[in-house]
Amino acid sequence: MRGLSWRNFDFLLFGAVILASAFGAMMIRSAIAGNETLAGYDTRQTYFALAGSAVILLLASIDYRYWLSIHWPIYIGVMVFLMALSGLGQAAFGAQRWFQVGTLYVQPTEFAKIVIILVLARYFEKSQNDPRDLKWLIKSLLWVWGLVIWILLQPNLSNVIVSMVIWAGLVWMSGVRIRQIVVLGLVFLVVAVVGFRFLQPYQQARVLNFVQPDQTARQGAVYNVQQALIAIGSGGLFGEGYGHGTQTQLRFLKVRQTDFIFSATAEEFGIIGAIIIILIEAFIIWRCIRAAQKARDVSGAMIAMGVTILLFFQGAANIAVNLNLIPVSGLPLPFISYGGSGLMSLMIGVGLVESVVMRHKELEF
Amino acid sequence: MRQQYAWRSLALAGILGFVGILIILQTFRIQNSPEAAVFRAQAAAYANVLQTYYPERGDIYDRNGHLLAGNKTVYEIGVDLQTAADKHAIALAVGVELGLNPDDLYNQMTNPPAGLQYLVLADYVDADKAAALQQLKATTDAQNNSLAGLEFKPHPQRSYPEGSLASNVLGFVNREGRGYFGVEEKYNNLLAGNPVQVRVPTDPNKAFDIPHVPNGTTLVLTIDRDLQAAVEQILDDSLSKYGAANGTIVVMNPRNGEILALASSPQMDLNQFWNYGSIYHNASEFDRAVSMPYEPGSVIKILTMAAALDSGTTTPNSTYLDTGALLVGGATIRNWNDQAWGVQDMTGCLENSLNVCLAMLSTKMGAQTFYGYMNRFGIGHLTGVDLAGEAAGRLKVPGDADWYPVDLATNAFGQGVSVTPIQLMMAASAVPDGSRMVTPHILYAMVRDGRQYSVPTQYAGSPISASTAQTLNQMLAVSLEREASSALVPGYRIAGKTGTAQIPDAYGYEDGVTNASFLGWGPVDDPQFMIYVWLEKPTASIWGSDTAAPTFAQVAQKTILLLNIPPDSVRKEIAKP
Repeated sequence: MRGLSWRNFDFLLFGAVILASAFGAMMIRSAIAGNETLAGYDTRQTYFALAGSAVILLLASIDYRYWLSIHWPIYIGVMVFLMALSGLGQAAFGAQRWFQVGTLYVQPTEFAKIVIILVLARYFEKSQNDPRDLKWLIKSLLWVWGLVIWILLQPNLSNVIVSMVIWAGLVWMSGVRIRQIVVLGLVFLVVAVVGFRFLQPYQQARVLNFVQPDQTARQGAVYNVQQALIAIGSGGLFGEGYGHGTQTQLRFLKVRQTDFIFSATAEEFGIIGAIIIILIEAFIIWRCIRAAQKARDVSGAMIAMGVTILLFFQGAANIAVNLNLIPVSGLPLPFISYGGSGLMSLMIGVGLVESVVMRHKELEF
Repeated sequence: MRQQYAWRSLALAGILGFVGILIILQTFRIQNSPEAAVFRAQAAAYANVLQTYYPERGDIYDRNGHLLAGNKTVYEIGVDLQTAADKHAIALAVGVELGLNPDDLYNQMTNPPAGLQYLVLADYVDADKAAALQQLKATTDAQNNSLAGLEFKPHPQRSYPEGSLASNVLGFVNREGRGYFGVEEKYNNLLAGNPVQVRVPTDPNKAFDIPHVPNGTTLVLTIDRDLQAAVEQILDDSLSKYGAANGTIVVMNPRNGEILALASSPQMDLNQFWNYGSIYHNASEFDRAVSMPYEPGSVIKILTMAAALDSGTTTPNSTYLDTGALLVGGATIRNWNDQAWGVQDMTGCLENSLNVCLAMLSTKMGAQTFYGYMNRFGIGHLTGVDLAGEAAGRLKVPGDADWYPVDLATNAFGQGVSVTPIQLMMAASAVPDGSRMVTPHILYAMVRDGRQYSVPTQYAGSPISASTAQTLNQMLAVSLEREASSALVPGYRIAGKTGTAQIPDAYGYEDGVTNASFLGWGPVDDPQFMIYVWLEKPTASIWGSDTAAPTFAQVAQKTILLLNIPPDSVRKEIAKP
């Protein structure tokens, strides 16, 4: 094994991630102020961020191809966890999405998305010289659905969509043909229309509420989005000040430490704060794209690209929900929203990207 | 990365950038579109809530400043079934402290109604008992926390320190703070005061003024607590002594209409107002003196004689031959003992309570005149007494579908007409002093913001002339003296009239049951009290002269004692120059 050089370690990416996590912990602190059941979430998030930073450094020091070589045990392992979530009858509670380990709630779904990126990266590298035919496409899809099917059964539609977007992005990057895209688009449309009736009632309600909001509803399904819009709308240019956002502090804004943390930020720090958040996220995404371009092989590029799409889609979807651009989904804002598993899995993703970018040259002199 | 796919990478990056720009644009749009103002207004609307502050209900005092109704804090003691750890301990503690059965409490807690999380174990618990229980809970909290889940909720309650005293006058206040019956209902708005509404910021960091909420108006009643207690005692004694079903006694000042005492059976402990339903069958039973009209019988002869004298139909010394029967409208009117009483003067008519005599007078003066006087005496009309639930009674007049010519005769001695005691008192108040009727009232004064407003005497007209009143006053006094009535009080000249009325039912009149009444006042030359006694269905004797009259004497003696009225001889000595 050759000596490891940290010269190519992307300190800007690492720094941006640390900055985003710190900002996130701070916003969580403001969002949960005074709430007894949520007390201590900010501290927990800080611990997760610190542990995540260590994980980034650790993963950066390990060649990402090592993980590709043991993709089968990883793949099967995560699948077993996901099956357990959907199969143990815990779905009786609606959406059971975590395992309890001590005081930690571990959500395998978050880690499954990283594993999907890994197995797709390995698959596209192995098949880089195969013809881009239907068989190639379907095989890639099968890899994804080996895990996604269990996520769908949880049911956790948001993460199914995230996984499918990652797949679509990587398939696109691997050179899928335009004709295949058209066919896929049609198939997707049919599945969406037919599948709508198989959604859980609350998921159907969310979609319908988005398409045609009930003007008379006050506390109902449009409540959260309504409060989020009020929060953003009352923020102004510079915001009402940290810890002084009325919507946030008076808890009109619900799930303000996760799904609607962007609204809380926009209220307390104004449009400037919101744009800073977007810029930090954009910067992280740009550094990941840069890693993808520099990658020495297909698998490296695919890993970096996969993480890019994961970060982008979750971030965009989260903010879009806050802005009432798309129906409510439970996707966190990367590095900012509260959630140990989500933060840790994204840190793992960044660690993999660092590993890719550090090894983009075959030889070191 | 294969270079032929570079454009794919660019395309993807382009999409990312495009979406990013869209998001930033939307952020700006939310803040600056026309909707933004709406959002800001909504945010402002959530920033404060409308809160209502209720004033403390006004106190009620008797005429000498004794508290009859006030307010106190009581506790609702309940248990949160989710957090109740040791239900045995809670049942035992609450049961022992409050004198309830612990087994019952335990059963309530273990078998709560479905879906209930909070169970009320006891309500209206006195502050000291609740404090003892709270003390116990604090002790156990430090030890084993066995009373966890026990909760105390303070709330105001109307308190009546005298219990059932004057209960029929006061009325009560329900859980929602609304007054029912008597003074509490009649003056509910004054007592309750005006609630103040303020917008309170929901942000705990923002200060706001707790508004000054003036208490409800304090009321001072004309009731004399000591006399009230004495009269209630006499009523209770008379009811048992004469075996009467119910009764009412009212003491009023005939000069200004102040009600000094009003007793009505049954009474209730106002501090346990929830027992109302098991004590009274309908609302008119709460205060018989104002709410329950009845056929008064001969008491009304005071008014008939007043009309006859005032209209010139007769004079005090006129005589007539009583044959024991008078045919009016196809019906024969007879005296109470079905006897002929021979030659009688008008005082004898009253003394012997001769129906035939009074029927002769009313038919002689004619329906027009008779009912004209009755109307002016206020029969069939509300007196306007300031007690809730007053009933008007019923006076049929010619032209009414159910009026028959015989009614002119029977109404003259109190049959076929229904009145309330308070109505007859107002009507009779024209006789003792001058000729002015006074409107009975219970409110002496009200006090608000440190100012007192005293209620003036209200006169209700003069149905008869002063000389008629003077004449009738003497006749009523003489008739009692000639009869040697048991209503007489030694040392004091009394005027009055008994009444014994059969009780009408669906077919005519019930056999063997009567309403015994007495209306009287004194001293005759300086009237200071007017007393009405109504005993319902006395069994010891059906006659008012045997039951209501002696009860009147008892009340009059007590009134003389408590109002400190000197005997007639003493007063005349003093009055001499």
